Amino acid sequence: MDPLLTLHIRIINQVFELDKKTAAKPELLSLQRNIDRIKQHFEEAGYTILNPLGETYRETRVDYEASITGEMSSEMEIVNVIKPVVYFTAGGQKSILQKGVVIAAAK
Amino acid sequence: MSQQINFGIDLGTTNSLIARFQNGTVEIFKNPFGQKETLPSVVAFRKDRIIVGDKARELIEKDPENVFSSFKRKMGTSESFFVPNTSDFKTPVELSAMVLRELRNFIYTGEKPDAVVITIPASFDTIQSNATKKAGNDAGFREVQLLQEPIAASLAFANKQVNAASLQGQWLVYDLGGGTFDVALVKIVDGEMRVTDHEGDNYLGGVDFDIAIIEKLVVPHLQQQGSYPDLLTELRSARGKYNTLYHILLKKAEEVKVQLSNSSSAEIEFEIDEQDIYLTITREQFESVIYNTIQYSVDLVKKILDRNHLTAADIIEVVMIGGSTYIPLVKQLVTTQLGIPVNCSVDPTTAVATGAAWYAGTRSVSTPESPEKRQHSGAPLNIHFKTAYQKNTADKEEYFTAIVTGPVAGLSYRIVRADGGYDSGIKPLQERISEMLLLAENTNNQFNILVFDTAHHEIDADTPVISITQGKFNIHGQPLPNDICIEIDDLENNTTKLELIFEKNAILPLRKTIIKEVMKNILRAGQDSLLINVVEGSRYAVPGSCVPLGMIEIKSTDLLTDLVKGSDVEITLQISESRDLSVKAILLMNEQEFSEVFNPQVRQINIGKLKDDIRQLYQKAAAKMKSFKNRQQYELAAAVQQIQEDLNQVSSRIDRISDDDVTDEKYQLEEKKRKLAQQLDSTGKDQQILEITEQYFKRKEYCLQTIREQEDDSRIARFEKIITDESNYLSSQSYYTIKAKIDELDDLGWEIRRNKPETWINAYYYYASVTTDDYTDPQKAARFKDAGEKALERKNYDELKVVVNQLYHLLPDTKEGDQLKGTGIG
Repeated sequence: MDPLLTLHIRIINQVFELDKKTAAKPELLSLQRNIDRIKQHFEEAGYTILNPLGETYRETRVDYEASITGEMSSEMEIVNVIKPVVYFTAGGQKSILQKGVVIAAAK
Repeated sequence: MSQQINFGIDLGTTNSLIARFQNGTVEIFKNPFGQKETLPSVVAFRKDRIIVGDKARELIEKDPENVFSSFKRKMGTSESFFVPNTSDFKTPVELSAMVLRELRNFIYTGEKPDAVVITIPASFDTIQSNATKKAGNDAGFREVQLLQEPIAASLAFANKQVNAASLQGQWLVYDLGGGTFDVALVKIVDGEMRVTDHEGDNYLGGVDFDIAIIEKLVVPHLQQQGSYPDLLTELRSARGKYNTLYHILLKKAEEVKVQLSNSSSAEIEFEIDEQDIYLTITREQFESVIYNTIQYSVDLVKKILDRNHLTAADIIEVVMIGGSTYIPLVKQLVTTQLGIPVNCSVDPTTAVATGAAWYAGTRSVSTPESPEKRQHSGAPLNIHFKTAYQKNTADKEEYFTAIVTGPVAGLSYRIVRADGGYDSGIKPLQERISEMLLLAENTNNQFNILVFDTAHHEIDADTPVISITQGKFNIHGQPLPNDICIEIDDLENNTTKLELIFEKNAILPLRKTIIKEVMKNILRAGQDSLLINVVEGSRYAVPGSCVPLGMIEIKSTDLLTDLVKGSDVEITLQISESRDLSVKAILLMNEQEFSEVFNPQVRQINIGKLKDDIRQLYQKAAAKMKSFKNRQQYELAAAVQQIQEDLNQVSSRIDRISDDDVTDEKYQLEEKKRKLAQQLDSTGKDQQILEITEQYFKRKEYCLQTIREQEDDSRIARFEKIITDESNYLSSQSYYTIKAKIDELDDLGWEIRRNKPETWINAYYYYASVTTDDYTDPQKAARFKDAGEKALERKNYDELKVVVNQLYHLLPDTKEGDQLKGTGIG
């Protein structure tokens, strides 16, 4: 992979971590705006960053890799996102740059 | 004519890869779903479909009865696996064939190889080898040539060397992968590379190291920090309190392991019982917990050496392959304990596939397929799809169904999304098929239907492309009837202009954040204010003619600190589905926040802003009238005069309105102003567009001339890019759109001119010709003029540049007497 894209992915993952922390801790809320801004800059540069937290787990969705915790069930949801899904659009072509890494559990 | 095989496959116990040799290099193909080079050798049988690879691996632990992995270990045995979901038996050969077929999908070039080299472990006997061959045939490869993994790896290394032909003696191939360990002794016998001995352990690999990090470092740390009864069981048990955490830790431990290959320490960070845990793991700690396992692998190597009565001196090197050989301790123990140099010059993950492809590049297909047969297999199948689905939707998934006519028996299909985010898995093709398609949001989703024959060869069928637009043009969603813009200052023309925020027809709800600059100093003691004015109307119109939606006025008295020109203001605009407009502005200089929600039914009118609008319109009208009179366009001039009179009337009515006026008058006056602005804008608009268009062509020619003098291809390309949609913007009838293009061309030309001495010489002569007394500080100006003369004499153009800039700033502000109140942002 292009070293610049790899660097961007690393930064996106860190920003995603920050985002998770600010969402969980009201005292860090003042950082949210800056985080949103960084995410927006990445989006303007062609990246689509997805956080599937809370979405229904689908085995046909291949842009994330899930670890299933607890008992298997027909209705499962994403309970934790370790890395976000990142797509990159270049020359009108959108493709996966990073598969998400998620934890799924029964609803 | 002989034809090379070229395609090589590493059919691994844990992961598989496919590569191709072409023009002296090897390319490893990537999975179209996720762009990874490796495909987990795992097959899952769901109720209605078959899944191979990453998604199948997700289900290994949770549905072990229907998900199969590591079946390579059972190749050549009579064992078969019962699949409850399909009430069917599957053999290791059938499962391997499924993995091989999936690898065929990685070939993005459209080639359909019918011969391939597949690697096998050195330990495979004839029956196991034949079973692998059969799996290859079943997967659609008419011809399969086998190659031992250590030989493949050795070839990859040998081809990396400058003088591969000089390869002599014997060496070891140490292969420590994700879940298995193998070591082989390889040597050249009668000019041929051969595996003469091997050892291995089918249950030793990288996953063991991840688990060691958790169980031997993380768990003891947690137990020191607090009370977690029976922690290990609670982590590992499916019903355990911390089972989710265990899965998180497995992923994090893997990351730590990778980091520790390059750093002396790494951090693992997670949450347990709402408590944040940060744990630094040093390489030393990591090595201490995996030491015994690595030692065991080295002992197996020693066993081979002893068995063959070899010493370190008899072995040239140890070739290291498998992802786990990235771990420095592995290299270190192998080197120090065996006393043999290690070779790590090839990517250990792809070495076997690379070697297989190198080998395939040298092997000819023994019986090339006859052209007649090829033609026959290439004939499109007479299958037709009659599809039904919603082409536009607001939902994140859409139901798709199709009636299939033609000979469908024994065929299977698969639906995949073009961006690689969705894969239906392999399903039997029936007369009616249906699928819930997952959609990427706010975009057009393209899905392709692939059809396979009984041997799972993709066949040429007349399949339709499924195209579903999510969000954007949704008929159920509410589209915006007009552009939504904010008003910003246009200092160059001493007026205000519009900046587009949300485009007409965008679907609600909408949200956008922009950063604008504060265009003037706003002192707390002063009377100035900052206006964030959101309007609805064409982005090309003049601001005064648009419908005001909401405005935030940040008065000097509201400020916590003085606001400095050039500082940033972050503006977030949000429109809900019910059309409520929220505006939030943050002054980044002092982090002060202002926000308001505007309900479009309650129109906000700011009297001060209204007065300024009228004043601006009046000035604009005066300028237009002058221009029309100069061109003897008296009819147009008369129309403008009438507008001026009407503006005067509106102005005097505004003056009579008190601050706390409760009548509708200010709304009526605002409406009247808007109409007058529209009238003024359209009066003589053709002339204005004509003038700016003329100006555009002149500047374009000047820019091109400047670039050509430089003979700079990259700038010519940029020039071409700027003018690429010329006919569109020239026909836009928008002054600002054409003006923006002129600015782009000017910027490009200026990039060249600013590096030319004559630019600064000419500029200097201009400023030198300005009478010294006309500068705001004549004494300073005289000094700079003097410095400029000297710089010219010395031909010191950098100095001359400084002089020109200084003189420019000493010129009086000609717009001072007619300063724009404006919005204060731009």
